[in-house]
Amino acid sequence: MLSYLIFALTIGGIYALLALSLNLVWGSAGMVNLGLAGFFGVGAYASAIATGAGAPVVFGWGIAALAGVAVGLLVTFATLRLRDDYLAIVTLGFAEMVRLVALNERWLTSGADGISGIAAPMKAELGTGGFNLFYLAVVSLIVLGVWWMLARLDASPYGRTLKAIREDQELARFAGKPVLRFKYEAFALSAAIAALAGALYAHFQSYFSPDHIQPLITIYIFLGLTAGGVGRPAGAVAGGYAVLLFIEATRFAADVLPGLKAVEVAAFREILIGAALLIMLHLKPQGFLPETMPKAPKP
Amino acid sequence: MAFWIELLISGVVAGLIIGLSALSITLVFGIARFPNAATGDTMTVGAYGALLGHRATNSLLVGGLTGAAAGAIVGFLGYWFIFRKLAQRSSVALLVASIGLAFVLRAILGVSFGHSQQVFQLPLVRPWRIGDVPVHPNDLVLAAACAMILAIVFAILHLTPIGRRMRAVADDPSLARVSGISPSGVMTVLWLLAGAVSASAGIVAGIKTVVSPEMGWDLLLPAFAAAIVGGIGSPVGAVVAGLLIGVAQELATPFVGFTYKIALSFLMMLVVLLVRPRGLFGKLEGAR
Repeated sequence: MLSYLIFALTIGGIYALLALSLNLVWGSAGMVNLGLAGFFGVGAYASAIATGAGAPVVFGWGIAALAGVAVGLLVTFATLRLRDDYLAIVTLGFAEMVRLVALNERWLTSGADGISGIAAPMKAELGTGGFNLFYLAVVSLIVLGVWWMLARLDASPYGRTLKAIREDQELARFAGKPVLRFKYEAFALSAAIAALAGALYAHFQSYFSPDHIQPLITIYIFLGLTAGGVGRPAGAVAGGYAVLLFIEATRFAADVLPGLKAVEVAAFREILIGAALLIMLHLKPQGFLPETMPKAPKP
Repeated sequence: MAFWIELLISGVVAGLIIGLSALSITLVFGIARFPNAATGDTMTVGAYGALLGHRATNSLLVGGLTGAAAGAIVGFLGYWFIFRKLAQRSSVALLVASIGLAFVLRAILGVSFGHSQQVFQLPLVRPWRIGDVPVHPNDLVLAAACAMILAIVFAILHLTPIGRRMRAVADDPSLARVSGISPSGVMTVLWLLAGAVSASAGIVAGIKTVVSPEMGWDLLLPAFAAAIVGGIGSPVGAVVAGLLIGVAQELATPFVGFTYKIALSFLMMLVVLLVRPRGLFGKLEGAR
């Protein structure tokens, strides 16, 4: 039970990182990234390949973040001047492209078999139980660090500019803000965080395959962030863990209800996730930890 | 030469499927103003509806009508229970909602019909040979059916009063409103039509290949690409771009291989966004 809890909390931390990443682009800057799973995959593969070639794990994580920045800029290059919907469609396609490349470029990613035996840091020294606990600590620390950084960013003039861009691009441009540069930077940073989450996941599981790049992950994170509170880093973190709790709860519900096959359980979980997202959008679009707007200073 | 003509023919059929689904996307985008990611899974609903209808009656026509009706109903229910209530939100919120709906639809189909691939049991027909080129009569029937569906949609848009109102709303929603056009009537017809059109795309795709719960989602990307390449909100553009992408995908297969077919539509979409964001036939819009 304890090892299960440690496992769940680690995955929850990875979801929280993804939710923080989505919150930075969606919550702060008003851009949509439907290709979260794609950036997650890019990070996982980048780190797995780099450490497979002999790089230390921490180095692999750095490479994953850089790879995230690179593909993030690439994806936004064509669309940032256009309406927000275009970015959504392009990122959706991007995730499919990542999956396609991962499936077919066997020399790089070993195709559908996936990469196994990805280096697990300190596992030899600590044993399996110790490693899981150690890794939970590492992931939680990174979540805390990224949360702190993004909360600071949110409160800074930089974060306020992003929110101004979200509310009215024209006005922000009129106020002399380089809107495009802000959007590029926000998206690249967000992509780096998502890629880092992917790398953390890959080294935790020691295995990564194209099957892990599912649009379902993106939906999980959208649900988590919508429930937690769009536009507030604390909401993103809470939402990331909450969505994991929700998924695991449906798993237990399936154990209680007999006579369901595994495939049916998975399908029911997807129905529940989709329905929960729709209900949240209807009833509480601002989430349980809504964004707080600072009052304008009195002149 | 015969080889290329054969590829061209299968490209046209693939292009009609993409064109129909892109037509549905572009209609919704033009009038309800968001990219509807549930289009792919409405296609799947249509394919399964047609499969059931065909099995029950052994008539492809009845099957097709059942499938189209199922798609129209799903389109309408999605509007009534989800999109109608979110209409005042940003297009991004609507898009996220449509993805949620897509997942629910796909999972329901997966539970009801299982995940194994199913096929339409059609009698085998020997292909005709015109010169050296084998032509499958089924392809011709499907192409004719697609052409007829397109003709019906364009007739509704351009020859009927409700079609005129739909185009007015697409052109300028506030102007349409002050001219006394009720949005709810237009929306109801729009969603019935969009659902039926995407369902028929799914039916054709199902007859041509196999029916599975994932088929629609896999066809969503080329459909979005065609809607953008053709110019968002332009029905003619969607169909032309669908044909272009379908033919390009098939003709490129000998060079890039079967696996990267879908990547081609993504690439075409990116190039159009970079060079001519309004697409082939679109109005100038967007650069906010």
